[in-house]
Amino acid sequence: MDDFFVGGLSSQETESKAIKSEYDIIIIGAGPGGLTAAIYAGRSRLDTAVIEKLAPGGQIAVSDRVDNYPGFPDGISGEELTKRMEKQAKKFGAEFISDEVRSVSESKTENYFFVETASHGTIKAKSVIIATGADPVKLPVPEEEKFRGRGISYCATCDAAFFKNKVVAVVGGGDTAIADAIYLTKFAKEVIVVHRRDQLRAVKALQEEAFSNPKIKFQWDSVSVHVLGDNKVEGLEVENVKTKERTVLKVDGIFVAIGTVPNSGFVRGLVETTDRGFVVTDKNRQTSKPGIFAVGDVRDTPLRQVVTAAGDGAIAEFSAEQYIKSKERGV
Amino acid sequence: MEKLLKENDEKYIKDLFEKRLTDPVELVLFLESENGEKVNKFSAQYLPYTEEILKELVALSDKVKLTVYKDNPEKEKEYGVTHISALFVEGKNTDKNVIYYGIPSGHEFSSLLEDIIDVSNGKTELSTQTKLELQKITSPTEILVFVTPTCPYCPRAVRTAHQMAMENHNIKGIMIEANEFPEWSKKYNVYAVPKVVINDKEQFEGALPEDEYLKHVIKGAVNIILE
Ligand SMILES: Cc1cc2nc3c(=O)[nH]c(=O)nc-3n(C[C@H](O)[C@H](O)[C@H](O)COP(=O)(O)OP(=O)(O)OC[C@H]3O[C@@H](n4cnc5c(N)ncnc54)[C@H](O)[C@@H]3O)c2cc1C
Repeated sequence: MDDFFVGGLSSQETESKAIKSEYDIIIIGAGPGGLTAAIYAGRSRLDTAVIEKLAPGGQIAVSDRVDNYPGFPDGISGEELTKRMEKQAKKFGAEFISDEVRSVSESKTENYFFVETASHGTIKAKSVIIATGADPVKLPVPEEEKFRGRGISYCATCDAAFFKNKVVAVVGGGDTAIADAIYLTKFAKEVIVVHRRDQLRAVKALQEEAFSNPKIKFQWDSVSVHVLGDNKVEGLEVENVKTKERTVLKVDGIFVAIGTVPNSGFVRGLVETTDRGFVVTDKNRQTSKPGIFAVGDVRDTPLRQVVTAAGDGAIAEFSAEQYIKSKERGV
Repeated sequence: MEKLLKENDEKYIKDLFEKRLTDPVELVLFLESENGEKVNKFSAQYLPYTEEILKELVALSDKVKLTVYKDNPEKEKEYGVTHISALFVEGKNTDKNVIYYGIPSGHEFSSLLEDIIDVSNGKTELSTQTKLELQKITSPTEILVFVTPTCPYCPRAVRTAHQMAMENHNIKGIMIEANEFPEWSKKYNVYAVPKVVINDKEQFEGALPEDEYLKHVIKGAVNIILE
């Protein structure tokens, strides 16, 4: 019976303030990148709003243990870590708005951006920081939609409890997949890691932990082709990429961690992105549109982690402040 | 029993309540003895903790009080209790329609705090548009929200259901802690949370923004006033 209270209110501000029609900076997304930018913006005394569609914390909120964020030698849960960031951002004055941003556009006549939300209309900002992160890639099988929520899951911490003493598959071989596999052994009786190569991509520390866990088995060189079952998942058909041989794994659940897609659809056409949708920035984290910045997992960057998202957040806020000042001097 | 709330958290909540609560809020908790007809072996083990955490919580403000009904079929009937434990947040904008089945722990503890604040102030943070749409619902509508305490996306789904219930008393917003009610969860094929079921006929999985959530609720509500 630990963690009754994971520390802080989730979606609502601790102080109820009316949402303004205009801010200095609007930060879109409250993962580690957005929250760090909000801490810096608050300390710079900029009028700051953070707009988050789900709950502050971002992807890392579902991780039960983060071992590589500096300052926490014993590890810290992603939830606790981001709750602390959220508290820190609120302490320095950032306002949190619970809503989804649908588009961003530029004023033709003034130095303003228009941030269009689903439920709170359009809000003006002198500068915008895109911190919308990424979502998991869907399992590429024809039955994905049918079984999503019926045995296919993208959140191990959320859904592991439904698979007590069951056999589950984890699809993927990176950090997230292997951390999920380890977490799932607390519930499932067997965890089969399905990976398309013959070795893992995850960091060595996680690999060692997984290899020494007797509940974890490996299905190497294999890709998922079909999910089987009537109403819920009963099996996963995999194909060996070398021999083309197909095997049915009898599993009750399938946890998917095969990469991410950036949440950049709402700014497509406004800022430059890569083929895969990652937002391109310069060293100041400024996008192709001056005044709009991008941080963290949504950005075209070689490493997508909490610490890099946080670093981006600090740089982007600094750059945004410079941008606002230069515009004010210019006007 | 050892205290469940840490000193730091107590301080934080006390301060929060002091700043944010205006009118009184009553937490109404239903419990049964181990052989009660509405408890099961999974939920039974959580009952003492549920009672304890609520006792600790109400001790932090004069404005929040706790009423416990144990083995009280009459009161259960009056509130429409179907499972144990059941917790109702009662105040000026609710009418036995903001409900938690199972312990509000982990992430859901924040939902409870936020509910208490909303009920005390008699208002919600739903958008004007949503509030208007909700008034179209004129017949009983049940929103079930299945959760686990370790799901960070779940409180948002619970809070939306509860706030909708506060805005329109035809709506019951019901959180269900899936670990405590495996049978109930099985009935609705819950293998991922949050899972939201409206009047047994409309359902969705995952966290949705307010406007899309609302569309499902409107679709699931039986009688709506057509424009
Ligand atoms: C299971 C798991 C384990 C991980 N473990 C580690 C680890 O141990 N160490 C590590 O360093 N990293 C880890 N990572 C990676 C880490 O989580 C990410 O790199 C980090 O969260 C990126 O932060 P971010 O702020 O860029 O974006 P995100 O964390 O993705 O946050 C983006 C936020 O934006 C919101 N959003 C999206 N679109 C909109 C919109 N249109 N309007 C409003 N809000 C929107 C989302 O809801 C989300 O809250 C892990 C990831 C996962 C999934």
